[in-house]
Amino acid sequence: MTDFFNTYGNLMVLMVFNAMLGLSLYLPLMAGQLSLASPGFYALGGYIGAVFSTKVFQSSDGAFPVSYVLLEMLVGGLASGVLAIVVGIPALRLRGIYLALATIAFVEILRVLSLNLTITGGAIGIFGIPQPFNRPLKYLYIAGPLLLFSMFFMYRLERIRAGRALTAIREDELAAGAMGINPTYYKVLAFTLGAILAGMVGALSAHFLNTWNARQGTFDASITYLTFALIGGSRTFVGPVVGAMLLTALPELLRFLGGIDQLPQSVRDLFLNGRLIIFGLLIVLGTIFFPQGIITPRLWERRRRTKAVRPAESNL
Amino acid sequence: MSESATVLEVRAMTRRFGGLVAVNNVSFNVAQGEIFGLIGPNGAGKTTLFNLITGLIPPSDGKLLYLGEDLTNRPPYKIAARGIARTFQNIRLFGELSALRNVMIAQHIHTRSNVLTGVFGLPRARREEAISRRKSIELLDLVGLLDRADEKAINFSYGDQRRLEIARALALEPSLLLLDEPAAGMNSNEKHELSEFIRRIRERFNLTVLLIEHHVPLVMGLCDRIAVLHFGQMIALGDPANVRNDPAVIEAYLGDE
Repeated sequence: MTDFFNTYGNLMVLMVFNAMLGLSLYLPLMAGQLSLASPGFYALGGYIGAVFSTKVFQSSDGAFPVSYVLLEMLVGGLASGVLAIVVGIPALRLRGIYLALATIAFVEILRVLSLNLTITGGAIGIFGIPQPFNRPLKYLYIAGPLLLFSMFFMYRLERIRAGRALTAIREDELAAGAMGINPTYYKVLAFTLGAILAGMVGALSAHFLNTWNARQGTFDASITYLTFALIGGSRTFVGPVVGAMLLTALPELLRFLGGIDQLPQSVRDLFLNGRLIIFGLLIVLGTIFFPQGIITPRLWERRRRTKAVRPAESNL
Repeated sequence: MSESATVLEVRAMTRRFGGLVAVNNVSFNVAQGEIFGLIGPNGAGKTTLFNLITGLIPPSDGKLLYLGEDLTNRPPYKIAARGIARTFQNIRLFGELSALRNVMIAQHIHTRSNVLTGVFGLPRARREEAISRRKSIELLDLVGLLDRADEKAINFSYGDQRRLEIARALALEPSLLLLDEPAAGMNSNEKHELSEFIRRIRERFNLTVLLIEHHVPLVMGLCDRIAVLHFGQMIALGDPANVRNDPAVIEAYLGDE
């Protein structure tokens, strides 16, 4: 068992990180806004973590204090949130594919900036970010509770006034406005919440990866996070979480399958070397057979249904 | 009815789309408690006028006063929050959501809880949630859709969708209700029931109703006053009997020989 955790510790932490990044993209998607900006906030959070821990807090010998990591996450989240409000108010006037393009541009601008600024270490990036933990798996002490909290947050959000406003905007923005909902406010709110989460994950991720550069949080990542939501499901927060975990674990699963001796050599080769082919194939098949993703609310709604509502208590 | 206070005042409202004047210098007042009909041939500008009143499109010219307050150029959500609710000619329900959720969404302005108080289920947010759920259930019961509260709105028949839209509009607890062709696609029996229903909700919720309708007998029987639009201009305004015999109206509807 210890071997298993040692081998797959890295992977498990990545799965949890990616689940949260999937959620950060899902938040604006709840209001029907296709924003690909999450990697930008992730990168920003990462640079904040990296700069703080290498330049501001002079690390002594031994492990980097966990409280500093938490502080960096807080700052990373807040900075991302503020940036999200500033960027979101004008950008969220755009709809559909135009918003997607604008957010890709946003991610690209941040990337080019980080390549050219001195504080971000230019193309080389920032090295030797100190580790608060001696084993990768221990990052779950922070990432695990954060994921659980975000899932609790999303679970509740889908059941309250603010969540209803978001879904109303997703379904019909015009009608939502006519029902007294301020679409701009709620779109910026969802965008900002997603940015805060991505920023916090970024700050933690900087320590986990030990180095941070302009290759973190690029356009590729935008598409990857989008895939989490598309494959996992975009109608409930469970979708992106499951999608992120499955797709993050998939390469390791394929490596394992490719190692089975009984399989024909050609199949093993496909598993070992054709990972991208299988990835693409799954996405195509997924969109054909599970257009709403693997996880849809219908899976559990059917059970809840019949205990329907009766106005017994409605005499007030 | 004519002595009652004015609820809505449309003053010289004009809307141009390029060279087309969809609504041309239209003025009228709607009094408290009135059922005010808006009729006219296709393309007369009725729905455009509704969109102007609810702020979905800004006017090119003119003023909109509601209870003496200038609402011109306010965004739709602010106008809705002042107490003007509407239904849509081409039904605009939140199709993928349940009927109950559709109605609860329109309770938005009557609840205060924000993301944090809501997410952590603080007592006040919980209480609000229960109240708005109960009100929504009552409204579904009122329009006869309670048994189907958990069904997706998109699966409802056309008539039921129209009823659900009215329930959703009523959830805003408006004082002015705008109905855009509420009887479209209904048979004469259903139309008769609808008239009764509109009268009933006016009494119960102390509403003022502004409605667009094509079906002339329904409008004549239901409305206290009627305005007739033709190519964006108001060609007649008055009680049903007068409007029916107005030569300009007859010409607009039947053409002149």
